[in-house]
Amino acid sequence: MSNPGAITAASTRARSPSVDTPIESERAPAAPRAIRCAVRGVTKSFGQTPVLRGVDVEIPEGAFAVLVGPSGCGKSTLLRMVAGLETADQGTIELAGKDVTSLPPRDRDVAMVFQSYALYPHLSVRDNLAFGLKLRKVPASEIDARIKEASVMLGLEKFLDRLPKQLSGGQRQRVAMGRAIVRRANIFLFDEPLSNLDAALRAEVRVEIRRLHDRLGATTLYVTHDQVEAMTLADTLWVMNGGVVEQKGAPLDVYERPGTKFVATFLGSPQMNLVDAAITRKDCRCLVDGGGVLAPVDEERFGEALEQGRSVVAGVRPHDFTIADPKDAVATLKVELVEALGFEAFAYGWLRASGPRIVARLDAADAKRVRPGDQLPLGVDPARVHLFDPQTGRALDAR
Amino acid sequence: MLERLLALLLLATLVVLAPACAEPPSLVLWHSYRGEEERTLVALARRYESEQHIRVELLAVPFDAYTAKLTAAVPHAHGPDLFIDAHERLGIYRQENVVAPAGDALPDADVVGYDPSAIGAVTLDHQRWAVPLSTKCLALYVNDDLVKSVPALEDLESLRASLPPGVVPLAYEVENPYHHAAILSAFGGKLLEDDGTYGFAGPAALQSVVFVRELIARHLVPSDANGSLVKQLFSSGRAAMAIDGPWLAADLPPGLRYHVAELPLRTRGAEAMQPLLTVESVMLSPQGAQRAEVRAFARWLGGTESAIQRATGAHQVVANRAAWRDPLVAGDRLLAAFHDEQRWAQPMSTSTRMRAAWVPAQEAMRRVFRGEDPQTALVEGMGRFEDALKPPPPPPSPAPLVVVTGLLALLGAIFAVRRATTPDFRHALRVSRTAYRYVAHAAVVVVVLVVVPLAAGALTSLFAGTRADPRYVGLGNYVAILTARGGPLLGHGSFYLTLLVTVLWTVCNVTLHLVLGVVLGMLLSRPAMKLRGAYRVLLVLPWAVPSYVTALAWKGMFHRQFGAVNAMLGALGIEPVSWFSHFATAFAANVATNVWLGFPFMMVVTLGALTSISKEVLEAAEVDGATRWQRFWGVTVPLLRPTMLPAVVLGSVWTFNMFNVVFLVSGGEPDGSTDILVSDAYRWAFTRDAQYGYAAAYAVLIFLILAGGSRLLSRVGGAKEASA
Repeated sequence: MSNPGAITAASTRARSPSVDTPIESERAPAAPRAIRCAVRGVTKSFGQTPVLRGVDVEIPEGAFAVLVGPSGCGKSTLLRMVAGLETADQGTIELAGKDVTSLPPRDRDVAMVFQSYALYPHLSVRDNLAFGLKLRKVPASEIDARIKEASVMLGLEKFLDRLPKQLSGGQRQRVAMGRAIVRRANIFLFDEPLSNLDAALRAEVRVEIRRLHDRLGATTLYVTHDQVEAMTLADTLWVMNGGVVEQKGAPLDVYERPGTKFVATFLGSPQMNLVDAAITRKDCRCLVDGGGVLAPVDEERFGEALEQGRSVVAGVRPHDFTIADPKDAVATLKVELVEALGFEAFAYGWLRASGPRIVARLDAADAKRVRPGDQLPLGVDPARVHLFDPQTGRALDAR
Repeated sequence: MLERLLALLLLATLVVLAPACAEPPSLVLWHSYRGEEERTLVALARRYESEQHIRVELLAVPFDAYTAKLTAAVPHAHGPDLFIDAHERLGIYRQENVVAPAGDALPDADVVGYDPSAIGAVTLDHQRWAVPLSTKCLALYVNDDLVKSVPALEDLESLRASLPPGVVPLAYEVENPYHHAAILSAFGGKLLEDDGTYGFAGPAALQSVVFVRELIARHLVPSDANGSLVKQLFSSGRAAMAIDGPWLAADLPPGLRYHVAELPLRTRGAEAMQPLLTVESVMLSPQGAQRAEVRAFARWLGGTESAIQRATGAHQVVANRAAWRDPLVAGDRLLAAFHDEQRWAQPMSTSTRMRAAWVPAQEAMRRVFRGEDPQTALVEGMGRFEDALKPPPPPPSPAPLVVVTGLLALLGAIFAVRRATTPDFRHALRVSRTAYRYVAHAAVVVVVLVVVPLAAGALTSLFAGTRADPRYVGLGNYVAILTARGGPLLGHGSFYLTLLVTVLWTVCNVTLHLVLGVVLGMLLSRPAMKLRGAYRVLLVLPWAVPSYVTALAWKGMFHRQFGAVNAMLGALGIEPVSWFSHFATAFAANVATNVWLGFPFMMVVTLGALTSISKEVLEAAEVDGATRWQRFWGVTVPLLRPTMLPAVVLGSVWTFNMFNVVFLVSGGEPDGSTDILVSDAYRWAFTRDAQYGYAAAYAVLIFLILAGGSRLLSRVGGAKEASA
């Protein structure tokens, strides 16, 4: 995968031996009964403001589903509805095939990890973990066993008698997860659990969460606005925007075949370059022409949609550009700025004076030769050219 | 810098010297007159100024502060040359050296010109101490439309037969010893005997209270009537007769046909009722008495010309006999009636012990009228009078005090020297010198306004006796308090019983404040609630009203006959409750008032504390499976505790010392049983012969209890928090 964030994450984890220790417990807890979660036709408004406009989400047993989208897209509201903290205006929510739309949280058997961790500040770590179990009248010996198990799993044994305020951010995050683990709930809900951590820790905990899921096998619904988390964690990605689901699918599928212009630009960093163009034919080849780009397209992929003269929005990810021979170039970038990151670099510039700003990824070695003001000839694999309808924003894929 | 300092010094010198350099006011007269009496006095002063070419400066001092200001100012030569006051204060004024004999302001030749009773009132130890101006005593107001001939006291029953239904034959303040003294005299008794012993305990007292109790039981006089009720009943024709002073006349409606008569006789004993007589007199301060022009002005004020003007202008029942030959004065039927009555009246005792007699007498009467055994009530009243006036313990040797103080000073000095010699301390001092300069003025203010009074109070508690005659008693006051003055430990008015009541009072109040405050705070913090702002304002309102205003309003609401509470109970078909006759109901009335005053504070604190509880934590508990109730007890309450604890400590201290409510609502009724420590301390200082030392010892004990209690409460609360 060519996502830069993922590379960062992987390298951080490799440098950090501490991550491995908590996970290496001798036995896994009794697996919760993984259940299916289904949200059907849910709408919700706060006052006059619609937040969800008819959302359907289906998470199979034991899957790790990630809801991703910009702030205000309704993803947290949806999660809170599954938890029972918000009511739906319309539609139903089913857990394990049972309609729970009108049940309070305590009757849904869900566990939730909050963005602020929401630990009970007046209780020790041990009591934080035990709180939900005591309420459910779990016998004391069983509570002790579960706390021990979870604390070993999360590396919290040393902190059991501390108050939350005596813990670091990462430790608090683990307690919050431990609180969910000991509950052995049917479904785990995560509400942007990493946003309060610094970048290094975020990568570390992210990996930990995925490992925990693989170990416990509980159905998980995870909300984030961070595309790196979304890409790395999800079995299924649900991209939300403006109160509706724009696209769902395996992360790489969604990344490689974005269904809409929004999804295309939302996933991937720097975001996909878009130019307004039109379809032309030349020498029996189908080309997209406009905004300084004249590039071949994958005719098999777009099929019927490739009518001569049709207006389209053409998109190419920065990572899909290559430096080409000037005579084979599909576009020429007038470089304004080169951003060198060490292992790679990004060249920013314009194809035309009036066109949109374009970004291209360069290899670290190439980057050293490129100077601002240079005319950089760019090439692209036709399979990597995405086309969208300018009016609807939908992809023109023939599937 | 230096110039500025010099200028400041010069200014200060000028301020100090200026009054001395100015022409001295020739005469300074203090009085507490208001309305037409004040206007007449001003007119008299102007007249005297123009006739005698001398300046007369008048200063009207509020009645409540009058005695205190005089006793504070005169001994330091800041007081007036002469002042007008009631003759019964002569005892205190003599004791405090505020008054001097009248000398040639009232020469022998003038004596025959005054009413003998007035002269008698101002003559003490064969010396005349004041020039009588006017007399005040009770007389009988008779409604001419309802009463044809005034019956004797025993014949009120027959009068009632001729009255329309709903009209009571006689109204007066039955529970007021000042009024009762007249009845008592008809049975041959006195509140205070001439030798200063308590008179309200013998057979005469017994007969008198039983007699009045009978009148009340037969509904011939209304029970628990105060001045305003008497006025209301008589002016609306619902009382055929009323016993009251000349002040009542001013408040009667113009259309009412009435006349004032001498107090009725008691037929079977054939003794006349002798009301208490107060003689308003002009008295000379020791400085003023040395000046001939001051004495001359005092003499002129009492003289005939002035008397006529006072009688016609201010409607005073003047003591000058010649004035009554003036047709205008003699023609005033109201004045004449009171003037006739004063012939029978007995001058109020000037003894300082009189001050200690009122409260026991009133308490005893209340108890009798409430149905308790008269003999016991009266004897216990005498016990309280004597207890209040118990001579202070013999002065112990001041040696222990000197030794302890010396030892403390020595230890302090050693500590200070040792600290001062350590280099660290000197370094710290040098570094902080600027800081000390910044806080110096604040420290001085705190020392002067807080530390000094505190120390003075603590020191006062080592003394007994009055201000003029303080006697060192060491820890005698504390011993007396802590041994319950030799009585049973939980006997009436003992420190321990009062402490118990105070603790009960505090616990009840703070619990209710907390519960109500937290519940309302929780309700008001719900974002879904409509008109939240309006409710918040309404609920904080009780807090914004001055507490004494609220206390008086609630006292009115708990009035047995006219109170809103009984009216509401009546609407529900419940018999009216005499709120202040039983401990439980009086206590409940106090608590109700104080809860009303106190819950907004806890509510505001709760609202503030609730905003600091994260919504997510409560949601986490909800997801964890907690019901609303479990969330409240498991999360909200523990998280509120750190904020609420200081508020509870503060509220406890405030409630423990909530003088206003106890003093104004129940006033300690019944029989001092609802008094808390502070209100009891107040009574020792101000109604039981000015035992400031004893009251100060109370105050020190209260301070110690509160300091210890707050510490304990914080520690218990803190420990809970730590263990949680």
